[in-house]
Amino acid sequence: MIRLNHLPTLRIKPGVPRSFTYGRRRLQGVEGDTVATALFANGVRVFGRSLKYHRPRGLYSLDGESSNTLVNVDGVPNVCAETTLLADGMCVASQNAFPGPDFDALGFMDALSWAMPAGFYYRMLHKPARLWPLAVPVIRKMAGVGTLAPDFQAPGRRDEIYPAADVCVIGAGVAGMSAALAAAEAGLRVVLFESRPWPGGAFEYRPGAARDGVACFQKTAELAAAVKASPHIRLFLNAPVIGVYSNGLVTAFQRGRSPHPFDERYIEVRAASVVVATGCIERPLLFEHNERPGVMQAGCAHRLARTWGILPGRTAVFSVGHDPGLEAAVDLFDLGVEIAAVADLRQDGLDPALVDALSRRRIPLLRGWSATKAHGRRRVAKVTLAGANGRFRKTLDCDLLVASAGFTPVTGPLTLAGAKLAFDERTGFFLPTCLPPRVHAAGRITGRQDWHAVAASGRLAGLCAIQDNGIDQTAAIGELADALGSLPGPVRGAKFVIAPDSGKKTFICFDEDATVKNVDQAMAKGFNVPELIKRFASVGTGPGQGGIPGHNLPLYVHQSGASPDAQPRPTTVRAPLTPTFLATYAGARLDMSKRTPIHDLQVAAGGRMERLGVWHRARRFSEDVHSREEILSVRTAVGILDASTLGKFRIFGPDAVKVLDRVYVGDMTRVPRTRAKYSAMCNEDGCLIDDGVIVRTGDNDYYLTTSTGRAGVTVEWIRYHTRFDDWDFGIVNLTDAYGVINLAGPEARAVLQRVTDADVSNEAFPFMGYREFAVGEVPLRAMRLGFVGELSFELHVPASWMAYVWNLLMDAGKDFGIRPFGLEAQNTLRLEKGHVIIGSESEQRTTLHDVGLGFLWHRDKPWARTVGDAALRQTEHQPGRLKLVGFRMADPSASPPRDGSVIVDRRIRGYVCTARYSVVLKEPVGLALVEDDSSAKGAPLAIYEDGCGGRLIQAVVTETPFYDPEGLRLRL
Amino acid sequence: MFGLHKRLWAARPVKSSYDAVIIGGGLHGLATAYFLARDHNITNVAVIEKRFIGFGGSGRNTAIVRANQRTQENLPLYKEALDLWPELTRELDFNLMFHNCGNLNLAHSEAALKAMRLQVASAQFLGIDSRLLDPKECKEVVPALDISGRPRYPITGGMYHPPGGIVRHDAVVWGLAKGCSRRGVHIHQGTEVTGIGFEKGKVAWVDTDRGKIRTPRVLNAAGGYSAGIASRLMGLRLPISVLTIQAMVTQPLKPLLHHVVSSGAYHCYANQTLKGEIVTGAHMDPWPNFTTQTTAAYIKHQAEFVTEFLPCLKGAKFMRIWGGLADMTPDMAPIIDGHVPAEGCFLDCGWGYFGFKSSTVTGRYMARYMATGECPEILQPFALKRFQEHRLMGETAALVDYSANN
Repeated sequence: MIRLNHLPTLRIKPGVPRSFTYGRRRLQGVEGDTVATALFANGVRVFGRSLKYHRPRGLYSLDGESSNTLVNVDGVPNVCAETTLLADGMCVASQNAFPGPDFDALGFMDALSWAMPAGFYYRMLHKPARLWPLAVPVIRKMAGVGTLAPDFQAPGRRDEIYPAADVCVIGAGVAGMSAALAAAEAGLRVVLFESRPWPGGAFEYRPGAARDGVACFQKTAELAAAVKASPHIRLFLNAPVIGVYSNGLVTAFQRGRSPHPFDERYIEVRAASVVVATGCIERPLLFEHNERPGVMQAGCAHRLARTWGILPGRTAVFSVGHDPGLEAAVDLFDLGVEIAAVADLRQDGLDPALVDALSRRRIPLLRGWSATKAHGRRRVAKVTLAGANGRFRKTLDCDLLVASAGFTPVTGPLTLAGAKLAFDERTGFFLPTCLPPRVHAAGRITGRQDWHAVAASGRLAGLCAIQDNGIDQTAAIGELADALGSLPGPVRGAKFVIAPDSGKKTFICFDEDATVKNVDQAMAKGFNVPELIKRFASVGTGPGQGGIPGHNLPLYVHQSGASPDAQPRPTTVRAPLTPTFLATYAGARLDMSKRTPIHDLQVAAGGRMERLGVWHRARRFSEDVHSREEILSVRTAVGILDASTLGKFRIFGPDAVKVLDRVYVGDMTRVPRTRAKYSAMCNEDGCLIDDGVIVRTGDNDYYLTTSTGRAGVTVEWIRYHTRFDDWDFGIVNLTDAYGVINLAGPEARAVLQRVTDADVSNEAFPFMGYREFAVGEVPLRAMRLGFVGELSFELHVPASWMAYVWNLLMDAGKDFGIRPFGLEAQNTLRLEKGHVIIGSESEQRTTLHDVGLGFLWHRDKPWARTVGDAALRQTEHQPGRLKLVGFRMADPSASPPRDGSVIVDRRIRGYVCTARYSVVLKEPVGLALVEDDSSAKGAPLAIYEDGCGGRLIQAVVTETPFYDPEGLRLRL
Repeated sequence: MFGLHKRLWAARPVKSSYDAVIIGGGLHGLATAYFLARDHNITNVAVIEKRFIGFGGSGRNTAIVRANQRTQENLPLYKEALDLWPELTRELDFNLMFHNCGNLNLAHSEAALKAMRLQVASAQFLGIDSRLLDPKECKEVVPALDISGRPRYPITGGMYHPPGGIVRHDAVVWGLAKGCSRRGVHIHQGTEVTGIGFEKGKVAWVDTDRGKIRTPRVLNAAGGYSAGIASRLMGLRLPISVLTIQAMVTQPLKPLLHHVVSSGAYHCYANQTLKGEIVTGAHMDPWPNFTTQTTAAYIKHQAEFVTEFLPCLKGAKFMRIWGGLADMTPDMAPIIDGHVPAEGCFLDCGWGYFGFKSSTVTGRYMARYMATGECPEILQPFALKRFQEHRLMGETAALVDYSANN
């Protein structure tokens, strides 16, 4: 197609070709084309087929308000052709049509629409019952638009940015740019979002003269130049806003540009003030076959010509309800489109200059008329027009029907921000009745259509945004508000809802093929509010985000009288306002994980790292999933473990001990300087939530450890449980400041003695002792603990010295056969010792008593009001609880049951927490939570493993620890 | 044809007395009313709904049904619920669209596999089909899964539960409303209960903004609002925290996911509706709130997480996010009780995000409870007193704390 290539409003470069394929065809567009305009320029009129009836669908709007032009681009489904810029070499394919959109094998579905009334699927296909499972795959295949392969790999690169701003303006039309410039002149940082690839909005292409006689597009271009020149405005083009949240949080994404159309960027702005200047889209005109290819909105037809140099048709009929529609008719006539007639829904209120311009061109104008039916199978061939009462009608030949009932404001960002909308009689819009704080609406969204009024309202919003930033603008705001009052106000909107005699193919929602008849059917079923009709008849829940039915549905429902509301009520708008790739939301795939200070040493030593919560930790150091070598080295020589993930805290201050008494079950008043105290924390239900050691490092100064999982919540826990006490204490999270090395095994002392001058003999540093000394001049904190059941030293080392101390110990231990061990080995070692891991040997409902740690509870410290104390009293001897027991297999040569297997008789009595084969004991041992009446020593346990087919494994309750019951090896 | 012009449920005037008044026109309320009429011939029943039926969690959940819970107290209830969908579809003559696609729950660690083994073994012991799969088998079931080492939390296995699937949640609301209405139950939308009156230690009436209604039985089945109603109108402080939970859908796609896929480590699930949209959601806001507002962080995190194990979904587009309320108890099991604080007062709340899958079966037993005054055995473990006795149900293994102190 030949382009009009001398218009001053063009956004294309007619001389710069872009080639692409469409199905099997090789086509050419030009730079500046969208996929949709390039296809249209190449004569494509049917872009795809509709969801349900497989009706042909064409170009209707240009900003993605419907799913008509969704195509597959380079393997990516559901790409909106209207908003995607053409890139060289693109492979474009149609969707939901076989063999193609022009002829679709399922086109006959349209004739079967009588069989698919609103909600038909609720009333059919379930009788007889066996029909339904057969119908499901067919329904699924028929539904859905676009195909995504299971091995699909998203093309493009993504990132995410979080710019700061004083003012965020949504929409770079005349109002938005005016607002942005006003704020920028005050020196504020402005972020300005525009969803189209260029600024200017509704006036950007219009040749009509503004009040001062200058063409709208020229005035708009001047504004755009000022915006681009302003150092305070950051303009994001091609960047639709997708969410607006409280306190000025705005999210958007920026589409990729040619040649990388799938490079997208997620943007999140927190601004002190938000200006919404999103303007209007057109309200679709409801009449029979109102979505035939060849029917398009006024702005679409006009912009095709003015922006892309494409004449939208040869012979056009207009059926509009707004002045820009008349303006488009005049302009398209001048550009070479034959105009058969212009019908305007309005009897009066038409711009006299435009009426005059039409008559000078001898274009017939029918006031109060509208289109009632489009004829033609695959595209419009004729249109029937009728007067308001339907009495007079005429049918005209045409290949283009420009149809629009007027405007509808794009209020999505306002309602997401929390604005409530109400129906406005004059404009016929749903307008905000009150705006949330620091949110302003400006421009055509308020019903104003005059260039100067739109600019002034934008400027006014800009001043309000300055005020929001603490700079007084009262005088200027008053002045400008007065000036705005003398400019044309909101324009009266057409009251029209639906053309007379509209038949059963009058589509209120294109995406889901919902007709007004379907809405009638839903109302007859008793659905009387738009919100429910929307669900029952599937209106506005498709990819177009309600852009087509959003305004018409409430109007139609209200007109029908079914709704209980006195005024039309809009349906809810939800984020994202523009459908957004998951890839774009996922952004740069930033991963916030933590590594211990000696992560690299662990890896170098052969550590198999696993992500556990936020941490990367070494599960084992060999291929052996049972880690037997690691276990044996701890039991017979010496092993070394990186335990840096333990939570570590300092609590200090005059009331520190009261705090400890509150949250720990034990008595904390007498923790000696040289001893580590093992204790536990419970919640209000007496359930075990944490265990660890507490040491006193000075007067009113304590150092404590928590389990890895509790490290992140311990400060909050402690603060919460002391919130009414006004106690004087401080708490510092030292988890990342210290690393921890656990040196364990009968040779542990010998190794440690090699690297320190301190006396670490059993006499000088006994079991459960606490010492501070230096290793290789590094001051550290050492405790003698015994989680793994051997002589152990837990060394708390400043994080930056961890690698040094680790290497020192590894060197010193070489002669003793030292080797690192991982979590798997630790798990078996502590199991042999009968020690619990919270979350492994306990569940949410497990109390301190249930796991046999009741001895830690100091029942006589009423002053402390220990968290969980009351529950610990109540549950101490409560029958019917699950108790932790040790067990051995009835047949010691049997394999251990898998963790999580259940213990049963006629019912489930408990389950296996952890069971492993013990190399040292040469038999499997395990810990289980079982009902108390099965927990006595010697009680038989019947274990049901998944997939066992009813063959139970027999075990017997035994005492723990299994290994070294006297604890002699801890005290070596 | 198709009874096109027959209303699904009738609008009727509010009577001055009913044999039972149900607060909440959601699934639990409607189901209870339906079974009161069906099984106990108590048809003089009013369902009082402040907004419109299905306004709350019933219309906001993600429609997943399954019976692979953790404890033997819960498993049989959910098992029976699964069996009810076809039965109700037939009986209500309304297609509830139970799509028995099966659920695959992914494990990403040894600990998660152990937790799943407990669930699987428990289910198998009780005769419910549930199995553990290794990563390769997971991929055979759901080819779109990434079982490589690339994700932050690589897949270590999965729990496959063939009897589960999805049901069209709106259809259940409307179908039950239809069934209720046909059996004489009154559904009063746009009506708010403002008070409950007691006489001689028994429930005597409820006050509504459309007048006083005398009744000997009141059921509080108001979902996310039930704890507030219990507190204001029944004088009962329930251990319930209410949190907003969000969910979202993508644009419709041709069949891609044939199962419900979920992941605990990533806190999300995904399934494809019959319309082709991929629904995903899962974790709750980190603090209690009644806003139902959606947040920027949530939808972003959801996209990050779901595309970790289903990377092909990067090519899908989110179309809509919404929020609903989850009324969480400390043990993630509901509070079902009767005659508290007074005779004739019934509670069916605290369902958190399990309210949908349990709705119909709970309604059936709750109806029996209300009709006979005797608590059916299957509901007894859910009594409120378990919290006073510190006997949590164990429906969740991990420690949870949804209260304001977390």
